[in-house]
Amino acid sequence: MPDLTPLTALGHDQPQSVTYGNLTMGDCPDLALASLTLRRDAPVPLPFGLDLPGPGGYVASAEVAAIWTGPRQWMIEAKAKGCTDFAAQVKAQAPDAIVTEQTDGWAAFDITSPDGAAIGRLLEKLVNIDPGTVSPGTASRTSLHHMNVLLVRPDPCCLRIWVGRSFAGSLWHAVIGAAARQAA
Amino acid sequence: MTRITGGLIDRGTSLSFTFDGKTYSGHPGDTLASALLANGVRLMGRSFKYHRPRGVFAAGSEEPNAMVELREGARREPNTRATVAELYEGLVAKSQNRVGPLSCDVLAVNDVLSPFFAAGFYYKTFMWPRAFWEKLYEPVIRRAAGLGQLSMQADPDDYDSGFLHCDLLVIGGGAAGLAAALTAGRAGARVLLADEDFRLGGRLLSERDPLGGIPAVDWIAGLEAELDSLPNVRILRRTTVFGAYDHGIYGAVERVADHLKTPGAQVRQSLWRITAKRTVLAAGATERHIPFADNDRPGIMLAGAMRSYANRWAVTPQAHAADPVAIFTNNDDGHRTALDLMAQDVPVLGVIDTRSDAPKLGDYTLFPDATVTGSKGRLGLTQIQITRAGQSTWVDCAALGVSGGWNPNVHLTSHHRGRLVWDAATQSFLPGPGGPEGMHVAGAAAGRGQTGLALADGAKAAVAALAQIGMSASLPELPAPEATADILTLYWHVPSKKRAWVDFQNDVTVKDIALAHQENMRPVEHLKRWTTLGMATDQGKTANVTALAVMAELSGKSIPETGTTIFRPPYTGVAISTLGGGDSGDSFRPRRLTPTHSWAAARGAVFTEVGAWMRAQYYPQTGETHWRQTVDREAKAVRAGVGLCDVTTLGKIDVQGADATTFLNRVYANMMGTLKVGRVRYGLMLREDGFLYDDGTCARLAEDHYVVTTTTGNAGLVYRNLEFARQCMWPELDVHLISTTDAWAQLAVAGPNARSLLSRIVDDFDLSNDAFPFMACSTLTICNGLRARLFRISFSGELAYELAVPARYGNAVMQRLAEQGADLGVTPYGIEALSVLRIEKGHAAGAELNGQTTADMIGLGMMVSRKKDSIGAVMSRRDGLAQDSRRMVGLQPVEPTHTVTPGAHLFAQGDPQDMAHDQGWITSACYSPHVGSSIGLGFLLQGDNRMGEIVIAANPLAGETTQLRIVPSHFVDPEGERLRA
Repeated sequence: MPDLTPLTALGHDQPQSVTYGNLTMGDCPDLALASLTLRRDAPVPLPFGLDLPGPGGYVASAEVAAIWTGPRQWMIEAKAKGCTDFAAQVKAQAPDAIVTEQTDGWAAFDITSPDGAAIGRLLEKLVNIDPGTVSPGTASRTSLHHMNVLLVRPDPCCLRIWVGRSFAGSLWHAVIGAAARQAA
Repeated sequence: MTRITGGLIDRGTSLSFTFDGKTYSGHPGDTLASALLANGVRLMGRSFKYHRPRGVFAAGSEEPNAMVELREGARREPNTRATVAELYEGLVAKSQNRVGPLSCDVLAVNDVLSPFFAAGFYYKTFMWPRAFWEKLYEPVIRRAAGLGQLSMQADPDDYDSGFLHCDLLVIGGGAAGLAAALTAGRAGARVLLADEDFRLGGRLLSERDPLGGIPAVDWIAGLEAELDSLPNVRILRRTTVFGAYDHGIYGAVERVADHLKTPGAQVRQSLWRITAKRTVLAAGATERHIPFADNDRPGIMLAGAMRSYANRWAVTPQAHAADPVAIFTNNDDGHRTALDLMAQDVPVLGVIDTRSDAPKLGDYTLFPDATVTGSKGRLGLTQIQITRAGQSTWVDCAALGVSGGWNPNVHLTSHHRGRLVWDAATQSFLPGPGGPEGMHVAGAAAGRGQTGLALADGAKAAVAALAQIGMSASLPELPAPEATADILTLYWHVPSKKRAWVDFQNDVTVKDIALAHQENMRPVEHLKRWTTLGMATDQGKTANVTALAVMAELSGKSIPETGTTIFRPPYTGVAISTLGGGDSGDSFRPRRLTPTHSWAAARGAVFTEVGAWMRAQYYPQTGETHWRQTVDREAKAVRAGVGLCDVTTLGKIDVQGADATTFLNRVYANMMGTLKVGRVRYGLMLREDGFLYDDGTCARLAEDHYVVTTTTGNAGLVYRNLEFARQCMWPELDVHLISTTDAWAQLAVAGPNARSLLSRIVDDFDLSNDAFPFMACSTLTICNGLRARLFRISFSGELAYELAVPARYGNAVMQRLAEQGADLGVTPYGIEALSVLRIEKGHAAGAELNGQTTADMIGLGMMVSRKKDSIGAVMSRRDGLAQDSRRMVGLQPVEPTHTVTPGAHLFAQGDPQDMAHDQGWITSACYSPHVGSSIGLGFLLQGDNRMGEIVIAANPLAGETTQLRIVPSHFVDPEGERLRA
């Protein structure tokens, strides 16, 4: 293990969490991410046993998930692997595919609430996507306050936003600002 | 007080407010206008040009006259319409556009001087002396003619924006809109109902007629309750849909907290972008007036507005309840106002009707075939002149309601350049072809304004709209009040030698229109610009149609032949803060922070914006009083010891695939196919037209795996271009791209001690020149197992490396390098020093690759390979480019204390300094601590053959000329020994 202390995308040594009303927002530095792209004519693999989803889809097992990002392209997401060489682990699962480390290319933020509708109302203030279509098992790439994001809905009570890591501060400002106003 | 009985106000609660410093009282449900009228205040402002006394004219967002400065301090908002300002406890308003008290405005002298201020007088009067315009004429005119004044303080309130999606957007909550929303809501469609008022009902709130056997307000309440109970219906009150945009998108502003003294924790306003599959426009209609001599006095208002004040707000427009009120009309609707006023025991002088066959609908005095030909009253109406059969009589009259018919609110239908069509039956412009796709117009906006018609029309519009998106809906049972035959005889203005106002807010009169006609400004577009008709904050809602009708009359043309101008967004004014969506200051746009931002900030770095990135510009130390001291120190430290700089911002693109090599050969001008694994090559990219557009490095990590770097500024552009090439130009290639710019923190370690420093953190990696020479690259581990990438490349011209680690470790690695290099003279340096170092080395950067330069010009023409084809290669060989003899050179002042100024142009000594003799320009310059003087880079005609020659750098903006000696562009280590050390 390197004798170095990593920082989260928000510049802290621990993840942050903020609650406004029934919405809780926090960053998820333990999540790992790697892109997986199929070479020409290569068969579709089953990395970690995942049945890779089609357009707009998100499938998850207990520890690993796949986000469709384009024709024959996915992001593979894993819990508790943020500080590991997750790309190497994905490559081992799909040796014929093209895999690129993306863990620190992006930063993940989870918005959770026992009231899924509250997440929908927050979405109205953030992205130009009909909240009704951001249902569990879906993923969308869109723009949020002029930032390129991946929206993932693991379950009704959680919305995950992946944003370019260098934009993390601006995304955090936008999300918690909207949540605070919603709770006002 | 002129408060009467009834109305939709909460008399149980009193609200205190001030106008021009005087305290008044009103009730919840009041607007500022209704509350002022209730307190007997009729004079509310001064007109734009002539500073004429003005009072309230309308009862909605079309108001041209009653404009106030609302609130105080930083929240002061000028040009607020008193007619839509909801009353709240503690409201503070001031009249505007006056010098001195409102009742004694000094600038009312303009009214006396009005013969000099006719339409177009600006254009004719203020032509000379020319120099007076900016410093004298314009400021004086603006002071005299402006409306309200800004607070000149930062807006203290919060704003936000958002997105809404629906099957059916219903614009307007009057009879047609409510019926449409109910119909669609019951059908299960997702409905958004937006209304600019704080209470649903539209014009129904202003009438006394029952609906379905119950008071209209109760009928509305029942319908509202049903809509509220439907989960698929959302009602946006206090929300104005101000524009129709492409693809079914509408802009709307929701006034979340404008009805409160301060917003508290809420936003003041929200900007909504609404994506609607279909739309029903039920925006109602605006009453038009009939211009007559001196028709602008407080007390003269639209008859429909007078009815609204009486029925909804329980106020009458005269200062004293016993004063008589009259109606001037050309249609039956004006008579309804007389009847409603009489029902409230308001003394009605009579109805003056232009029609000879005017009906008498009640027990009032009727003046058929008559007109109002004048008015009196300095600060408010006291008398009107009634003229009939050539006989004129002055009669006492405290308020006059005027009705010239109704103009459908068709504004949004022409936002996509939909043409309006004159409808002879309704004597109004109706929506024509070319309106926004998917928009259905209903009710008064479609010329079907009678309540029964509007209700049925709204429901039908909803059914039709939903059918287009595959949804079926049934027509609900709706009240069907009997329609009355409202016969209107066109009557546009009462001829007079005096001024008769058409556009109140911009002080445009019938005489101005006649003058425009006389000056041949007859097309409506010319009329508008010549007279400023319809160009004020109200956009001429009560004026436009009347004005073009007057022009039509003067031209002897019909109204359709005369035509109308096009309405554009916004329907009503929208605050810039709202359009900004709440993002201001540091969050005005997204900011990108480098992985070492915290480390740099802790060391007092001064940051600068580079695109969206915040980069450390320099690191001042105690005792350094000028940035140059800091930058000189940093640059010298790199050349003498070792420096650290975060270069993460340079674009990084991961290129993999069986055809990656072929792909890169096509996108780079130089050969990449021969690059060996473990090596890096400098590369040039050309645009299709042959000009340079970016440079960077290409590292080959494996047979089919490359990392391409770009300049910071072009990272997005290069990635986009490569993706376009991959997807659209050569889809047959097996190549895949993904950005890794953010994934890896990249740190430059530069200087003669760079190897020594790096050796202290790498894990068992041979950094010797033999094992890892200049332009080598490798993966490795550092600090006991952290995966990393190392590139031996140099921008500074020194022995240098760029070390890449997962971004989360960037800060820690920077800190470790700083700690480990203390004895090696390690120094963090910012992009100012970075720029000094690269200019000293003669490396081209953004200033040289400005889209107008070629590979030949920067001395790298040989890199454009002829052994292969690549984007832009053929075009780079065309005559215009290949024969350009300008070359990049170094420039040094002949007198060492002189400065090289970037942007200055170069001339041969003795030549005139003009375009014909221009020989080039200076692209970059800095003070070089290495050389000991200012130095620069520039492009010069045949510069590569003119070493040692002296040229003149001219900076005509500052009136400066400097003698510069042409030198090689490498001021440091021209043989490249340092970077290969």
